[in-house]
Amino acid sequence: MEGDVHTHSRASWDGPPPLPVERLRVERCDSPTPGLVEGTEPGAGQQAAMFVHSRSMEDLMAEEEESRGGPQPVAEGDAGSSETTSESSETSETSETSEKGLQAAKERSSLAEGRTKEEDIYSEGWRSHRKHVFVLSEAGKPIYSRYGTEEALSSTMGVMMALVSVVEADKNIIRSIHADGYNMVFLSKSPLVLVAVSRTCQSDKELIRELQYIYYQIVSLLTLTQLNHIFQRKQNYDLRRLLAGSEHLIDSLLGRLDRDPGLLLSAVTCLPLPSSIRDAVSAALQAAKAQSLVFSILLAGERLVTLVRKKDQFLHHMDLHLVFNLVCSSSSSFRDGEGWTPICLPKFNTAGFFHAHISYLEPASELCLILVSTDREDFFSLSDCKQRFLERLRKRNTYQALNEAVKTPSYSVDQVGIPELRHFLYKSKSSGLYTSPEIPERYRSEEEQERLMGLYQELHSRLHHSTRPLLSIYRCGETENLMAWLTSGFELYLCLTPLGTKVQAVSAVNKLLKWIRREEDRLFILSPLTY
Amino acid sequence: MSAMRVDTKVVMLGKESVGKTSLVERYVHHRFLVGPYQNTIGAAFVAKPIHVGEKVVTLGIWDTAGSERYEAMSRIYYRGARAAVVCYDLTDSSSFQRARFWVKELQNCEEHCKIYLCGTKNDLVQADKSVRQIDFHDTQDFAEEIGAQHFETSSKTGNNVDELFQKVAEDFNDSVFQLIPPGEAGVDLGQKKDSYFYSCCHNN
Repeated sequence: MEGDVHTHSRASWDGPPPLPVERLRVERCDSPTPGLVEGTEPGAGQQAAMFVHSRSMEDLMAEEEESRGGPQPVAEGDAGSSETTSESSETSETSETSEKGLQAAKERSSLAEGRTKEEDIYSEGWRSHRKHVFVLSEAGKPIYSRYGTEEALSSTMGVMMALVSVVEADKNIIRSIHADGYNMVFLSKSPLVLVAVSRTCQSDKELIRELQYIYYQIVSLLTLTQLNHIFQRKQNYDLRRLLAGSEHLIDSLLGRLDRDPGLLLSAVTCLPLPSSIRDAVSAALQAAKAQSLVFSILLAGERLVTLVRKKDQFLHHMDLHLVFNLVCSSSSSFRDGEGWTPICLPKFNTAGFFHAHISYLEPASELCLILVSTDREDFFSLSDCKQRFLERLRKRNTYQALNEAVKTPSYSVDQVGIPELRHFLYKSKSSGLYTSPEIPERYRSEEEQERLMGLYQELHSRLHHSTRPLLSIYRCGETENLMAWLTSGFELYLCLTPLGTKVQAVSAVNKLLKWIRREEDRLFILSPLTY
Repeated sequence: MSAMRVDTKVVMLGKESVGKTSLVERYVHHRFLVGPYQNTIGAAFVAKPIHVGEKVVTLGIWDTAGSERYEAMSRIYYRGARAAVVCYDLTDSSSFQRARFWVKELQNCEEHCKIYLCGTKNDLVQADKSVRQIDFHDTQDFAEEIGAQHFETSSKTGNNVDELFQKVAEDFNDSVFQLIPPGEAGVDLGQKKDSYFYSCCHNN
């Protein structure tokens, strides 16, 4: 089959050169405080990285294009300081199209459509959603809308396409429009155009990143080759035909982007597990291999237990998140029996399908095994791999220990022993893994959880601002104090009680880093395996 | 399940949301899940042993996704199948057009595959006769024309579901005596090469 993925490595897949293991060990032992250099921070793997966490060629090129293509953003507010106050400085981006133009266009479109039919999209409820996402084809045909039916929105999407084309006619690229408290961000990925309309405080860069996720989700269902092929043959093809039944994957991915810190941090979290058990599970997975197998992934809910990969093949965290999304949002389909589905891992290769064997270890279990193969005929040999894996787990009593770990709740922030600390996110850059305690009681309601994520998102976009990146932020608020710190080894976000001081916050960081170092073999995967 | 031998491959085909997965759920797990519709992703495989007289026949059931997206992929699922349950929704006439498409496809590509036409959601029709869009006798005629068996089932009540798969297993059992000496027709899941599944793939 021409679309099949072949496992040739591409330059951009290679992770950074692995640090010599001896050096890592030495530094680990010698340094009393965690290393700030990539590869020595708590949670850094001892061998080569598990994921491609460096940006792929595509990302780098896209960024270059951006800086060449678009107008230079005008930054206001306090630049250059490493600490900012809670005042949000407005960073406005000049855009090609003026506010007026858009509003006029909007008015025209609403006049043309008339307000009688499908009033839902004109309702206050529809307008007041925090973030809208639209996907359309380059012919202006609606493909997906987060809220409301695509049919009702066809003229709105027509206007969006018109905006894109008008700017394109001047050999320019529309990036964003800021009006009336809304951010409209455009991502043109031929043959698709993606638009986000948001009232959140996320930066354009963050919104673009989220749109990229949606784009890759669609590519993951169809492959880019097929997508291009379809639109080359028929420009006004209605892509909804092919995506039928999969809209919920995009819906759930958008939900995940709002509440899963992993997507924000470009990292994956692990099931806390004693390293001896994790190693035993990894070894069992490593032993159960097949010729065509590229990745074996064991998940516990939305947390990673272990990942074994073919030598020299790396899985991008984005691809892994797409796999998570597929498995977790269609949980019941794979519960009994074994799933066998084509899946494109777009960061690995946009041209072809892998074939994934997806099954739960037991129907009632949270443990889900995903075996990614290059051969679509290989179902039965992968099914056999699963059996061998399970037998080995059972034989050595690892299975029971693993099941117990799945059942015990993650860890609470109290275990860290820092009274001022309410919650934190810690990402080890070199391993691409992050850890975070359970959400404390006061943030557990849906709105509070989203608010907390919103705060982290804001900190994240400030640390990673394209023109004024910051290294650390301390921010006092009414309901909580926040702290963020970016080093070449890790990224750390703290949510602290509002009554604390900055000195306390700094000492909390130090204590926390020591605690993570102590617990790292339980919280992270330190010795990833290959076949 | 490791060394379970699968005697015959059965594939479920039909338009999306006609209830292929529900049919398999009802047959294998004796349950009907109420809740929002969830489409099948790719395909799901279940092995189910079934008694035919004194013997036990294990059906390897491939529940395929109805979505058009997987159409190009569907051949790998029905290739080598000895039985195909082609489903249509009794309350949706377009689903019967799709069923005709699958019948034609099977006739062209898998001549040894026996076809079982299965009208689903019979409970809806029983509750309200006016929702029926597919006439029983028309389908019966069509089934005779193509040499297929015809069933109307309800996964919600379980009506006729066991009968359908029982018939599939019996027909297989009969055909084994006619065609192949018993003992040679199975697929060992643990075995990698020379299996029935593979030999079929390569003969294509």
